[in-house]
Amino acid sequence: MSGGELRLGAVSYHPRVVTIWERFRDYFADAGVPTDYLLFSNYERLVDAVLDGTVDIGWNTNTAYVVLDHRAGGGTRILGMRDVDRDWATVLVMRKDDTVDSVSELAGRVLALGSRDSGHAAILPLHFLAEEGLDAAQQCELVRFDTDLGKHGDTGDSELHVVRAVAAGEADAGAISAAYFSAFRAEGVPAVADLEVAWRSPDYYHCNFTVLDSLDAEVAQRWSEALLAMSNEDPSLRPAMELEGVRQWYPGDRDGYASLAAAMSEQALLT
Amino acid sequence: MTDEGTEAVDHRLDAEHLEFGGGLEILLAAALERVAPGGVLEIRTGSRAVALEMPGWARLTGHELIGESDRRGASVLKIRRGSSRRVLADPLPARGAPERLRAGGELHTADWRGGGPPPEPRPGAGFAPLGAVPEAGAPERHWRLSDSDALWADDVGDLVEQASAQQWDASRDVPWEAARELDDTTERAVAQVMTFLAQNEYAALYVPAGFLPHVNPQLTELVLWLGSHVHDEARHIEVFTKRSLVGGYRGYALASTELSLHTLLEEHDFTASSLLLNVLGEGTFLDLLRFIERRAPDAATAAAARLAHRDERRHVHFGISNIRRAMSRDPGLSEVLVAAAEARAAKLVSLSGLSPILVEALTVMAAASLQPAEIAEAAGEVRALMARMERNRLRRLAACGFSDVTARHLSDLHTPNLM
Repeated sequence: MSGGELRLGAVSYHPRVVTIWERFRDYFADAGVPTDYLLFSNYERLVDAVLDGTVDIGWNTNTAYVVLDHRAGGGTRILGMRDVDRDWATVLVMRKDDTVDSVSELAGRVLALGSRDSGHAAILPLHFLAEEGLDAAQQCELVRFDTDLGKHGDTGDSELHVVRAVAAGEADAGAISAAYFSAFRAEGVPAVADLEVAWRSPDYYHCNFTVLDSLDAEVAQRWSEALLAMSNEDPSLRPAMELEGVRQWYPGDRDGYASLAAAMSEQALLT
Repeated sequence: MTDEGTEAVDHRLDAEHLEFGGGLEILLAAALERVAPGGVLEIRTGSRAVALEMPGWARLTGHELIGESDRRGASVLKIRRGSSRRVLADPLPARGAPERLRAGGELHTADWRGGGPPPEPRPGAGFAPLGAVPEAGAPERHWRLSDSDALWADDVGDLVEQASAQQWDASRDVPWEAARELDDTTERAVAQVMTFLAQNEYAALYVPAGFLPHVNPQLTELVLWLGSHVHDEARHIEVFTKRSLVGGYRGYALASTELSLHTLLEEHDFTASSLLLNVLGEGTFLDLLRFIERRAPDAATAAAARLAHRDERRHVHFGISNIRRAMSRDPGLSEVLVAAAEARAAKLVSLSGLSPILVEALTVMAAASLQPAEIAEAAGEVRALMARMERNRLRRLAACGFSDVTARHLSDLHTPNLM
């Protein structure tokens, strides 16, 4: 903290991040918990900044959170997350005329993955498929689109490459988040027209606001309450909330990150 | 996820084999409209892919999948409707009575508010069309012209209707062939008169066009009216320009005319502009156009003047109606309008009488000759026209509600340029 003002770090995965946080900064000031924001170009730098005290709060992807919590020895607290972060899932999409009933049928076929640091488009798919008996790294030909490294899949760019590869027949199946697949549908992305969902992973949590345990508990509590009080019925907040993809903020808990922590451990991503 | 079984279902949808991207979203949205926030929609689908995609769709659209089971070879999904409103506005009202139609099934602008009084414009409603429910959070704009007391005319709806019904085509509704046969003297005079008319019509277009973007869009009829006025004047510029060009002669665009017209552009009060442009300027032009129609040496000139006259009558009617209404609501307005006319006249002190160039052109056009007898007769007609213009100006000012003394004063202040 600096002079009673909290510092929040976020990753600038898109220019709209500035619009979002300019509005939210005003909101938190009005709510009595002044919060400035610092933007980082990648989540690795953001995690460093939380750990070294440059920022008090990190607006983290699930992958960044797991790394941060690991490096802090479990000494972190989650102050909130979006409604959409609470039941995130990965889907495998395939061409409608060439789909499968069971993931075991994908052995020997081409699987497209998003950026390798994306929890939902690369790390968790391999983990969950393994739980269902498919060692994709060994049994499938993997095609990776590492187009937004450092952003942990936030841009959706690598997932767009995934669906295009499947639609074009360059891959047989593609792993992307259910949320992005539905969003591509809603936006009318042509590549998804002839695709369908062949498999859906168990749910897991996505982004959250993380602080170190060393942050004053009362301050953290007030910030969390202010976050949860944000309403998209307020016309002056709604546009920024829509840009952030949130209708309602929820308190955070750790339960939904166990699968990712396990996956990152298995894949030697926690060092 | 398994069906919890205990959740009461508020509405059921059998989506059969409809797919996402193939129209399923439309059915889902319609079905969710029938469920209150927090209520439960049960969807039956014969597609496994749809069942797998449903949770992502539900979350994206602000709802939550709370149950999923198989029943007789189909998937049954339960979605709890989220509390977030799709549109930040009151719910749309229930279907109301249909709009009243006139004989022949016509839906008239004058009837769409049930013939009622003008609305109190809502400042933040922006471009929300008549009857629409505006969403909160739209950017607000200050509309300079928002006071219906100063802007409205009781019959503006009917005038809009007439403006639409009486549209014409300056390329096809004028017998242009008829304009090609005049002798040099007459054609030169016609070209000068038409040049003068076209020059004036530019101001008649620019003035309402200048007000239009400042009018509160909630005053819909007024917006349509000004749009029609602008369009009418564009066509007048077109038809008089074409008539000036078609015979091969050119006319002067006079500096005195330009001076007079620029003072119209400098008037930024809507009602004062109604007086100076619609009532005094276009009113005076009614007499001029009637004269030209009657004394035109060719059918093309006559047609152009006749068609423009029909439009100008509406514009004059609006001006009188607007001023009469505004003055009845604001007794002090008469003095304000007189002051505006005086201020304009002060800027035109250098003008004395209608330009001799124009008087000569009007006379020769009416005579269609330079023979003394014909010229004498035509000169008498032009003098009579000037007298008629003044009589009719007084009559129109009286119709606006001005006293005789004030009407005389205003008429005397009117520009020698006619507009």
